[in-house]
Amino acid sequence: MKVLKLSSVLACALGAAVSFAQVDTAHAEKFVIGEHTPLTGSLARVGTGSHRGVVTGIKVLNDKYKGQHTFELKTIDDESNPAKAVSAVEKLASQGVIAFSGGYASGVIGPASEAANKANLPYITFGGVATALSQRGHEGFFRINSAAGYGKAVVGLVSEMDLKSVSIAYSNKEATHKMAEYIEKKLGEKGLKVSTHEYDAHVKDFKSIVNKIKLRDRSEAIIMVGYESEYVGILRAANLLKPNVKAMIGVWSLATGKMAKEFPDLMKNVYGTAMLPFPVSFDKPKQQTFYQAYKANYEEEPSYLEQFGYVQTRLLGEAIVRAFDKGDTSLKGIATELRKTDEMTISGRVRFDEKGDNPEFVQRVGQHQGGKIPLVWPAEEKTGEKVFPGTPWN
Amino acid sequence: MNIKFSAAFAIVMYLVIPFTLGDNNYLIGLVASALIIAGIAVAWALLGNLGGMVSFGHAAFFGVGAYTSAVLTMDHGVPVFVALVMGGIGASISSIFMMPALRLRGPYFALAILAYAEIFKILAVEATSITGGAGGLLSIPTLPVFMGIDFGTKLGGYIVILNIVCLTLITYHFIRKSTYGLALKAMHDSEMATRIVGVPATYLKIVMLLVSAFMTGSIGAFNAHYINFLEPDYAFSGSWTIFPIVAAIFGGYRTLSGPVLGALFIYLVDQLVFKSVMPQGHQLILGAMLAGMIILSPSGLLPILTKFFAPKKNIKKAEGQHA
Repeated sequence: MKVLKLSSVLACALGAAVSFAQVDTAHAEKFVIGEHTPLTGSLARVGTGSHRGVVTGIKVLNDKYKGQHTFELKTIDDESNPAKAVSAVEKLASQGVIAFSGGYASGVIGPASEAANKANLPYITFGGVATALSQRGHEGFFRINSAAGYGKAVVGLVSEMDLKSVSIAYSNKEATHKMAEYIEKKLGEKGLKVSTHEYDAHVKDFKSIVNKIKLRDRSEAIIMVGYESEYVGILRAANLLKPNVKAMIGVWSLATGKMAKEFPDLMKNVYGTAMLPFPVSFDKPKQQTFYQAYKANYEEEPSYLEQFGYVQTRLLGEAIVRAFDKGDTSLKGIATELRKTDEMTISGRVRFDEKGDNPEFVQRVGQHQGGKIPLVWPAEEKTGEKVFPGTPWN
Repeated sequence: MNIKFSAAFAIVMYLVIPFTLGDNNYLIGLVASALIIAGIAVAWALLGNLGGMVSFGHAAFFGVGAYTSAVLTMDHGVPVFVALVMGGIGASISSIFMMPALRLRGPYFALAILAYAEIFKILAVEATSITGGAGGLLSIPTLPVFMGIDFGTKLGGYIVILNIVCLTLITYHFIRKSTYGLALKAMHDSEMATRIVGVPATYLKIVMLLVSAFMTGSIGAFNAHYINFLEPDYAFSGSWTIFPIVAAIFGGYRTLSGPVLGALFIYLVDQLVFKSVMPQGHQLILGAMLAGMIILSPSGLLPILTKFFAPKKNIKKAEGQHA
């Protein structure tokens, strides 16, 4: 009897737990888009930005198709954890989502998009630039950016500066490693002397690397390929050791309003890729649509994270509507429509190649100047002149 | 009581869950994830309970097992089920390098093992040609179809990890019941006393370390083929140590099935209940619950349940028993 009593308690506990996970079913006219994103954990800051963009995308879609279709977003916090991201995708798939928009970091996107592929659902992202992601042959995997787009921007800026030598400090993560390799190769082809310094992602003190650059490399510029906290570490070390360089250049996650506000002295004259200047001025109609929808929900100024999240979600929504009109909202139907995308968005031109990458993606470069970040490269997108030579310490 | 409880547990896990949740990939996936934690918790409890060694470095065994299996299947075409065993062997071999730490006791041993885990993680990052470096490995072969059953599905994966956990429990049970188990239990209370009466304490600790590493390594190997992805930060993440320890202590690490019960309870309740109630910050509720449990019942959940369900005469008997 006691065993039966215990078993029944276990069964009840499981049943109660399971009941919390019971699901709704999507209706035909209502398109439910799933999103897993890191709202907590080490990637929470970028995940929150991305999520806000996705929410804005859903709002714009609902405004556009009012009276015809409705879009609903179901979001699960993946806690910056690959296994939790897989669980999130599986849960959302069981709740009847039609596609996924979201994810951040290649290490999380990899298994999550694998799970989406197993569930026969398309997956669109901007959060991971690892080359391997688009080489798995997943019919439904799409991303609106690419590593090459960031690399082209940095190489273009350095070429314009007419430098003779550069040092690259890069994190040993796959995306950063590949990016450093790309920049090293391209600048080497242009005749520059390139020195590289790999560091572990957990390194906090960058003085030894900066010292090597200062005393051994004697390069004219330092290119940093890493993430926010690493940039701060490198710039702090450089501020202390004051190497004789003409420019400090970062790749992603650097030319943001957040960095300008939180580290005003450290960021002075530092370059980083950005789609739009900061503070941003949304003049064109497409930009206005995004900005007004964004401001309806959030007070802070949007960064590139919000813009990318918005663009990917809107493009996905448009493809879903086209697929629905043709009577095929399966993975194949939506993927076919996404492949037909060729649009000038607020993040530049987007079209997808056979692997789901956007070959048109090219970033722009901004420079921190007194709390603002004007675009200084390429010439046709400039909103200000670059301060060159210029570093935080001179 | 134990046999009856085990039978009830087996019925629930082998029959009730597959037949009720088998169609729901999300729920069956969650139970499988909880079992992964449970398996490591059992391996950790075996080392702590029988060998008297508190390890903070089981993530090392998990990661080595995962990489061994993934590399063998991807680069050398080894069948996945064979690779799961090889993953365990790989982790056991890695534990040989930790044996100098067996001279240490208590927190010193725990910290030394933690340092080894960090070393293995760095090795995985640096050995780019084998492990893919910091970028890791994508598209690791999934569990195969065997005798007409597709173990690559969520339900198939669940059955595999359930069997692995059951095997670890059975192994733990037989070690505990053997004369070696008796010696190990005595060592837990007083290693000096057991050495005096001729127990080969170091030898037994080595064997326990090898067995615990094998169990954890094979679970790591399973996880690699289950999630089809590996990177050093993930494979050697401290959470593969911390969460099983928490689960084992919550369930009752000095009991056989306490770690399994603890892992199933805290993982499923956290993911299904707390996360539904509080999508962000649900860990707060979990943390409060864990703190409450440790304060109210330091022996864990299973002793409470046993006390609640068992006849009073058995409670008195159980209270006097060692694990």
